[in-house]
Amino acid sequence: MLNDIQTWINVAAYTGGGMAMGLGAIGAAIGEGYTAAQANAAVSRNTELSGDILKSMLVGQAIAESASIFALVIAILLLFLSVSNPSLLTAAALFGGGLCMGFGAIGSGVGSGFPAGQACKGLVRQPQVAGKLTTNMLIGSAVCQTPAIFSMVVALMLIFIDFSGAPLLPTWAALIGAGLSTGLAAIGSGFGGGLAAGASCEGVARQPETVGNVTTIMLIGQAVSQTASIFGLLISFVLMFKSYPESAALTASMCLLAAGISSGFGGIGPGIGNGMAAEGAVRWVARDVENAGGLMRTMLVGQAVSQSTAIYAMVVSLCLIFVV
Amino acid sequence: MNVIRETQKKYCSRSMITAIVTGFLLIIAGQSSIGKGLILGTLFSVLNFIVMGEVLPLKVGKTRRKASFIAFGSIISRYILLAVPIIMGIKFVQFNLCSVIVGIFMVQIMILSEHIKNAFFFMRKH
Repeated sequence: MLNDIQTWINVAAYTGGGMAMGLGAIGAAIGEGYTAAQANAAVSRNTELSGDILKSMLVGQAIAESASIFALVIAILLLFLSVSNPSLLTAAALFGGGLCMGFGAIGSGVGSGFPAGQACKGLVRQPQVAGKLTTNMLIGSAVCQTPAIFSMVVALMLIFIDFSGAPLLPTWAALIGAGLSTGLAAIGSGFGGGLAAGASCEGVARQPETVGNVTTIMLIGQAVSQTASIFGLLISFVLMFKSYPESAALTASMCLLAAGISSGFGGIGPGIGNGMAAEGAVRWVARDVENAGGLMRTMLVGQAVSQSTAIYAMVVSLCLIFVV
Repeated sequence: MNVIRETQKKYCSRSMITAIVTGFLLIIAGQSSIGKGLILGTLFSVLNFIVMGEVLPLKVGKTRRKASFIAFGSIISRYILLAVPIIMGIKFVQFNLCSVIVGIFMVQIMILSEHIKNAFFFMRKH
């Protein structure tokens, strides 16, 4: 039975599907829970606004849930899609796709809960700017979903591209590494982007007239936070599309798997760190809009330094792919 | 809870109208599987949003255990609900899988497009 390719494909697809949905549900559930917790705090401060707060919570949770719906789509594809060209490499690709989507949805799910929660809280402080607050929340939440979208793209590529022409050894490791690289790196970027978006909603509620500056710095901060997941995406593409000579040595396979692990784990910290830098800048711009330029410069310098560890991880990944 | 009902009504009707008009045009243009897939996905996206909104007030004023049970049941049932059109997209050639997936996000697309449009007009005004 263990020599049967179809069995291996089923094992990989079912395990990958389970990982995609199981891991993918973590982030959205935490994010939605955070939103509900903040909505509770807001309702207890002003019960008259409970309808508006519930509305804001509903809309925010609908967007925050997108990451887990991406995971659901990939999980269902893995469980029910029939494979046209079965091979052991296909099994590795399906498993890699499941891992990629599962890990990739965690950060975006948690992150997009922050702006939704802060918008509910801010609504009590400034009910007259509910529209601005909701728009800000939705833009921030939508940008938070980008790392999960990267993960979904890589997962779909792993599921639908036919890799069966490549040698099994060491390509199997490259395909699983590709999934890990984008999936893990997306955790930090999604979470970090959420920190910036949450601070932005808090800032708009504090000083509604600073909405332009606050939104601009939030978007720049979020864009830089996502660099770590772009590095992960880049390594995934290299791992998926580079052609490898056949090698029965375990070292070659482990190098490719380690390349994915390096850029994946290496992207988590910088993504969160960059988000913290952006959160600080956005929060203080709302209080001191005159100093917006200085705050943005400090944020960008801080983010550049925080980013360096992701660059080290990427360099090590490239060495593992091309040099070792 | 009227605010929630109004919100649901607004986004659900916009989503269904957009899907039906786009789907109808696609069917006329000979892309019937894409059109049908879009309408099918949107229908389930709308159902998901309705269930989401209807369950919200049920959690209020309950014990923690009861509220957690309702929330868990809501999530499980909504995920099962959203899995139905994707499985149909995979199993039946009448529905294009990609357009089903786009349809599943139609409510979110409507919410975002409304607010992005508002933000754009606000920026132009100032």
